[in-house]
Amino acid sequence: MFGEFVKLALKSMAYNKLRTLLSLLGIIIGVASVIIIVNVGESASQSIQEQIAATGLETISIFSRTQERSVTREFNFELAERLAYEVPGILTVIPMNQINTVTRWQRNSYRGTILGVSEDFAWANDYSSVVGSFFTDADSMQLRQVAVLGNSVARELFPQGSAVGEYIRIFREGQAKSYRVVGVMERKSASFNLQYNQSIYIPFTTFSNRLVNTDVVQSYVVRTEPGVDVLAVSDNIEEYLTRLVGSGNYSVFSPSNIAELAADVTDTLSAAMASIAAISLLVGGIGIMNIMLVSVAERTKEIGIRKAIGASPRRIMVQFLIEAMTLTLVGGIIGIGLGIIVSNLAVSFFNWTFYPLVRIYFLAAGFSMTVGVFFGLYPAVKASKLDPIEALNYE
Amino acid sequence: MAGPVIELTEVSRYYYMGEFVIKALDNVNVRIGTGEYTAIMGPSGSGKSTMMHLVGCLDTPTAGTIYIDAEDTSALNEEDLAYLRNAKIGFVFQQFNLLAKMNALENVMTPLMYAGYPMRRRKEIAENALEQVGLGDRMKHRPNELSGGQKQRIAIARALVNDPSIILADEPTGALDSVTGEQIMDLFEKINSQGKTVIMVTHDPEVSGRCKRVINLRDGHIAEDR
Ligand SMILES: Nc1ncnc2c1ncn2[C@@H]1O[C@H](COP(=O)(O)OP(=O)(O)OP(=O)(O)O)[C@@H](O)[C@H]1O
Ligand SMILES: [Mg+2]
Repeated sequence: MFGEFVKLALKSMAYNKLRTLLSLLGIIIGVASVIIIVNVGESASQSIQEQIAATGLETISIFSRTQERSVTREFNFELAERLAYEVPGILTVIPMNQINTVTRWQRNSYRGTILGVSEDFAWANDYSSVVGSFFTDADSMQLRQVAVLGNSVARELFPQGSAVGEYIRIFREGQAKSYRVVGVMERKSASFNLQYNQSIYIPFTTFSNRLVNTDVVQSYVVRTEPGVDVLAVSDNIEEYLTRLVGSGNYSVFSPSNIAELAADVTDTLSAAMASIAAISLLVGGIGIMNIMLVSVAERTKEIGIRKAIGASPRRIMVQFLIEAMTLTLVGGIIGIGLGIIVSNLAVSFFNWTFYPLVRIYFLAAGFSMTVGVFFGLYPAVKASKLDPIEALNYE
Repeated sequence: MAGPVIELTEVSRYYYMGEFVIKALDNVNVRIGTGEYTAIMGPSGSGKSTMMHLVGCLDTPTAGTIYIDAEDTSALNEEDLAYLRNAKIGFVFQQFNLLAKMNALENVMTPLMYAGYPMRRRKEIAENALEQVGLGDRMKHRPNELSGGQKQRIAIARALVNDPSIILADEPTGALDSVTGEQIMDLFEKINSQGKTVIMVTHDPEVSGRCKRVINLRDGHIAEDR
């Protein structure tokens, strides 16, 4: 009996394709948006994980968040050493300052970030040079005006190659200062706070004494010891800094807690999905109820005939419930297909890898059928209660 | 002849239209024995269809009791009545009342589905029933591809397919020309000769002339029973 009614439902759907499609629009859109959100969300969070993996899980970044002298006074060069000494699990702490300015070589110019960092910066970030080398502690100690170029910077300023040994001019408050290029770095994908390829690196001491003249450090990069719990180290750093300058005056980020942040975003997306699902349930369900009521009205005569040849009220009800379920299942399947296509397009638009969550497809199909049963119930009961004679005489 | 297969005792069916009461059937007593071939006649509006619906358990009386095979139908609920209609009664209507979206075979198979037969058995029995009414070569045709007489044959096959003891036909030849009507009448006679109780509503004296018993209704009363 089940099979017959499914067949019958499909037949009458095919008979009135446009009407069927229109009445299923709510379900289709609802299911499609759920699939899109889940697939795009999953692909996004997987991509964030990949980015984290690229950044390296063993670094922590510290930022000063205020210009207040009482606070910035504490964010100094010595803090780097004190942190490395007093917080367990730290390999090294790199102080970091930056400005945005114009750099020239001959007629070529580049506008970008100048980063003042200590000589440990390269190895702490697993970042190597392709030509020459990163500057050394001797360069730092003697405040030498040397520079290392990020890969893109080198290509812009020296399209013909051979940058090492050349002198570039960094412009600062109308003055040009000459820096000798000692190295060009490899390509490295951006982390959360560093555009490696678009930066020029100079010794921190040179930056603070010759380029900008400041005793303040804007941020620090912490490299943890291998095998330690990065989140615990980051907690300890926070504790230390809170004692020093009070909470709210600094930020501490590690890829690990950024991963947590991503999980929060995913949770928000899930909440959005739940509300879209709820709305689509309502809108789609009402569409189904409407089409089923129309169907029952149109087929009053058929119901009368069926009753005359021995269909009980329960059988009539089951028939219309199966029909509603078939209808919503078809809507669900169309919605799933649409969702797969659109989420695929969206993910490739963002240049992520597509990570579909296949179990959601089954969930969505089951969910659609549940909507069918729920909203098909009233029309089905109505059909089952029709008076046989009145139904038979219905024209 | 065995005991009555149908018995109506003091059966009335009233319709209440505002302050009017339409007495479609008023205090009717009838007993019909197994295997009888009965015609019901009477002017339009005299209650013939009403009586058929009541006997066929499609309708319930306002007062009185209807027994089918000595079973008091007033004691039955909707589900039981549906079962009874399916198992013991076959309807044939003036307007055929076939399921338009289904072909002849599927139409005839439908009562078997409600009776709970498995698919293959349904097909066998339905094919056989269609052969019996001479439509073995039209099984895959839809009602709109068939003539009135052919449609009525499908309806008869459908009525017979569950092997009910009672066949109720409300003006089965009313929508047919006289030659086709004759053929349908022959079919009913054949069915009756196989032992089925047949009750047939008709306006046509020629049709009723072929029946062994004629009940005449007037204004919801039995005016004559011979
Ligand atoms: N649903 C209804 N509501 C009100 N009155 C009804 C209803 N059904 C039938 N009647 C009335 O009951 C009476 C008997 O109707 P019925 O259909 O039994 O007549 P009939 O003998 O079959 O007539 P015909 O030969 O025209 O088919 C008629 O007066 C009719 O108007
Ligand atoms: Mg009538």
